[in-house]
Amino acid sequence: MRPVEHARQVSQQRNSEVDAASFIDPQALMAIRNLELRARVVVEGFWNGIHRSPYHGFSVEFTEYRQYSPGDDPRYLDWRLYARTDRYYIRKFEDETNLRCHLLVDNSRSMSYGSLPYTKAHYANTLAATLAYFLYLQGDAVGLITFDAQIQEYLPARHRTGHLRHLMLALEKPPSGTATDLTLPLKRAAEVLKKKGLLILITDMLAPISALEKNLTLLTASGHEVEVFQTLDPSEEKFSFAKAVVFHDVESGRDLYVEPTAVRKQYLQKLQIHNAAAKAICRKLGIGYSSISTGQPLELALFDFLRERMHRGKKIKRADRPEARK
Amino acid sequence: MSYLAPLFLFGAAAVALPILFHLIRRSSRERIPFSSLMFLSPSPPRVTRRSRLENIFLLFLRCLILCLLAVGFARPFLRKPIVAAPEPKTTRQVILLLDTSASMRRQNLWASVRAKAEEHLNKVSPSDRVAVFAFDRQVRTLVSFEQWSTMGIGERVSLTAQRLTELAPSWSNTHLGHALTTAAEAFEELPQEDGFGQRQIVLITDLQEGSHLDGLQGYEWPRGVELLIEPVKARKTSNAGLQLVQDYEESLQSTNEFGPRVRVTNSSDAKREEFKVRWEAISESAPVELYVPPGQSRTVPAPALAAGVAGDRLVLQGDDDEFDNTVFYVPPKAEEIAVLYLGNEPETDPAQPLYYLKRAFPKTRRQIVQLLVRRADAALTPGDITGAHLIIVADPLSEQPLRAAQQSLAAGKTALLVMKTAAAAQTVSQLTGAAPTPAEEVTSERYAMFGEIKFDHPLFAPFADPRFSDFTKIHFWKHRRIDSNRLPGARVLARFDSGNPALLEIPVGKGTLLVLTSGWHPADSQLALSSKFVPLLYSILEQGGALRSQRSQFAIGDEVLLARTNNASSLTVRRPDGVEAQPAQGSSFTQTDLPGVYTLPAAQPPFSFAVNLDAAESRTAPLAMEELERLGLPLKKDVPKQTARQIEQKRQHLLASELENQQRLWRWFIFAAFAVLLLETFVAARVTRRAVAPTDA
Repeated sequence: MRPVEHARQVSQQRNSEVDAASFIDPQALMAIRNLELRARVVVEGFWNGIHRSPYHGFSVEFTEYRQYSPGDDPRYLDWRLYARTDRYYIRKFEDETNLRCHLLVDNSRSMSYGSLPYTKAHYANTLAATLAYFLYLQGDAVGLITFDAQIQEYLPARHRTGHLRHLMLALEKPPSGTATDLTLPLKRAAEVLKKKGLLILITDMLAPISALEKNLTLLTASGHEVEVFQTLDPSEEKFSFAKAVVFHDVESGRDLYVEPTAVRKQYLQKLQIHNAAAKAICRKLGIGYSSISTGQPLELALFDFLRERMHRGKKIKRADRPEARK
Repeated sequence: MSYLAPLFLFGAAAVALPILFHLIRRSSRERIPFSSLMFLSPSPPRVTRRSRLENIFLLFLRCLILCLLAVGFARPFLRKPIVAAPEPKTTRQVILLLDTSASMRRQNLWASVRAKAEEHLNKVSPSDRVAVFAFDRQVRTLVSFEQWSTMGIGERVSLTAQRLTELAPSWSNTHLGHALTTAAEAFEELPQEDGFGQRQIVLITDLQEGSHLDGLQGYEWPRGVELLIEPVKARKTSNAGLQLVQDYEESLQSTNEFGPRVRVTNSSDAKREEFKVRWEAISESAPVELYVPPGQSRTVPAPALAAGVAGDRLVLQGDDDEFDNTVFYVPPKAEEIAVLYLGNEPETDPAQPLYYLKRAFPKTRRQIVQLLVRRADAALTPGDITGAHLIIVADPLSEQPLRAAQQSLAAGKTALLVMKTAAAAQTVSQLTGAAPTPAEEVTSERYAMFGEIKFDHPLFAPFADPRFSDFTKIHFWKHRRIDSNRLPGARVLARFDSGNPALLEIPVGKGTLLVLTSGWHPADSQLALSSKFVPLLYSILEQGGALRSQRSQFAIGDEVLLARTNNASSLTVRRPDGVEAQPAQGSSFTQTDLPGVYTLPAAQPPFSFAVNLDAAESRTAPLAMEELERLGLPLKKDVPKQTARQIEQKRQHLLASELENQQRLWRWFIFAAFAVLLLETFVAARVTRRAVAPTDA
């Protein structure tokens, strides 16, 4: 799997203190209005960054020959081998293109928060679009589920002309949901997505995580691979407020008078515990987890994704699990 | 500095509020959205040292406004001696108005009245002027203002008290309205002198429901006259009164056969409800028992009496007060009146006047008219002529009856001559003694009617009302023309529409001769068949003195008109207490101030009448004060007794409010508060602008 190898190299570069300036500034990126264009910029820049043509290596990978038996599709007959050996052999490939990937994008109202010129939802959508574009280019089928407290939009995973465009349009819808609740959408996703595949969950995870483990277990138990991107605003991560003001919860509408200097420490502590708990759950279930600040370049997220995929490739042998292979 | 309303100073405690607001500075107006509050906990309001230091001037201004307002509302003033206006001379004019009506005879009431009166007398100062009036039906002056002034200062009270001891309740009813207006007008008659500022009427009465307040309706109470009511209360409140029920005099049934009816009225505050009515001093008649709830009345027939037994008083038993429990009763007696008719016609001939005359005088309770019919050409007995109250002459008289008629006319009797023919003119001149006056028959084709009637004459006075004055329905077919000018002193009371006299009045000696120039029988006119005939005959009887006022029941104080025809000696009235009294003037007797039976011993036939208490006097329940207030009386409320300390406190308070009113310092404080408020607004605006400016930058 070539992109994975490229990613490995990039990841190594990143590990060796890659200058962040070599990436596109997220603010400049977000200034591009067209989501598809944004995704293309990121992905193509990514390829350019690793000095490899993205149009190479997207071919079926040969694994073995098998003797033809009646009923096999004659298209897969290896005519050259037949010419050499005068026997019918069927070429078998490792089917890479039938990776079904579903992007689960949190569209709840808390995602509409952003201390930067763009919101978390913008960032998450761009990330989703980037991943979708990237996977699409790889020839994978990409689907989309947006959710708040329940599933809003569902596009099944497909790889066909125009599907990417539908997907972009769905992603461009503004976040209209209410509270974040992972429980119901994940449960529904487990019900809807019967075929095993990759699930990429992009959320701020600002919801109680008590039921998270159960629902993620449900997904992994169905044979899905799950990747979690937690997008957080820099001000959420650092709580960099100075004045005592009334904080208005965009989800619940609740007002709370808060003296930031007094509560910052406690806030950071709670956030850290929350994130650590989420991370621990993911690790336990073999789920890739990466936390991204909306201030970070998107390429880094892409790198993280690919590194995670490589990492997983080492750790979990998909071949060990018979249902992972078709 | 002192304060009129120091409680308002507690309002200054409100300065704690701005201080608190300044200390708790939470910029709660600023709101920022945030993704989730799940990691945040609320911060308690903090009292920071920094905020206390901020805007200390603004805080001071705000506190100052509140303090100034509090002080202003507390009405501050500076204590200093004020120049007191010279004390007005406390001279008063007081009228003590004592109720001496019959209801004051109850139990302890009269003693209470005297005690209260003496109490008020003892309170007057030497400069006061006092008058004492007693009232029941009339107002009597016991001590006038002039008498009070002429008395020595030391002996005024004792002399007046002496006169009070001589006073006793009468039997009259209570004319409270009249008494109050009389007393109020007594002030008006006084010369206006300086120093006699306060005018007060002290009314000491039982204020019974039965008081007559008519005089106060529409009476404009004089300004400056105040009324202090000192009510006296009886220890026992049950009082029932007994009254005779007046029978209509026109009713044919005489009460002589059935006895009178009595009404028992119970007062509305009575405690007792069961009563008995019986004849006084007649043991064999059983009393009538009756049940009368408070405030109601019952009418029952008086106990039956055995034949031949006459009772003169009925007594009520069973209530607390005796004064109104006896009624005196004189059975009404029908008067016998004799009318002498001199005519030659048979009584049964409906074509003749006599036939109608006989039917014009039915027997009533009031009088029994005896019609004596004698022939005009036959001799009369002396009894016929002397007993007759009215002589009606229908035919020419012969010698002897003519003389008798002339004599009785000269003695003052009245005669009516009916001219059935023109020849009757001769009888007219014979009776009047005038020269022969010719008369002629008038028979026009058109009937005649009364064209002109003198309604101011007593004979026609009962018809003066427009409802009864229409005589045009009486048609006269025939009448006789006689020249009234030839008859000396003749006065035409009614004329026909042709101008001929219809009814003439001719004085003859002491008596009067009435000449009707037509007859009432059908051949002459419709007069006998008209509704005017009988009243006209009675009117003639009354004018001749035959009908007299025969009422036998009167109330205390009523004027009794004694019969005019009685001679002077028979006008002596014997009162129930045995005293003989003469009517004050004419035949009007007004000394009916005792209940009982009054008799005229010399009268022929014997005449007596009963005088009883006024029914209203039995209504002894207290009158509602609102009733008096409604009539516009300025009632002075009896103020509760105050202790010396309370009075002093009140005086001090009045003094303080006077000082405060002079100084009016509160205005300055309120003004200052407004000024500081403006300053505060200005400073606050500046502070806010300064705070906003950096964020804008």
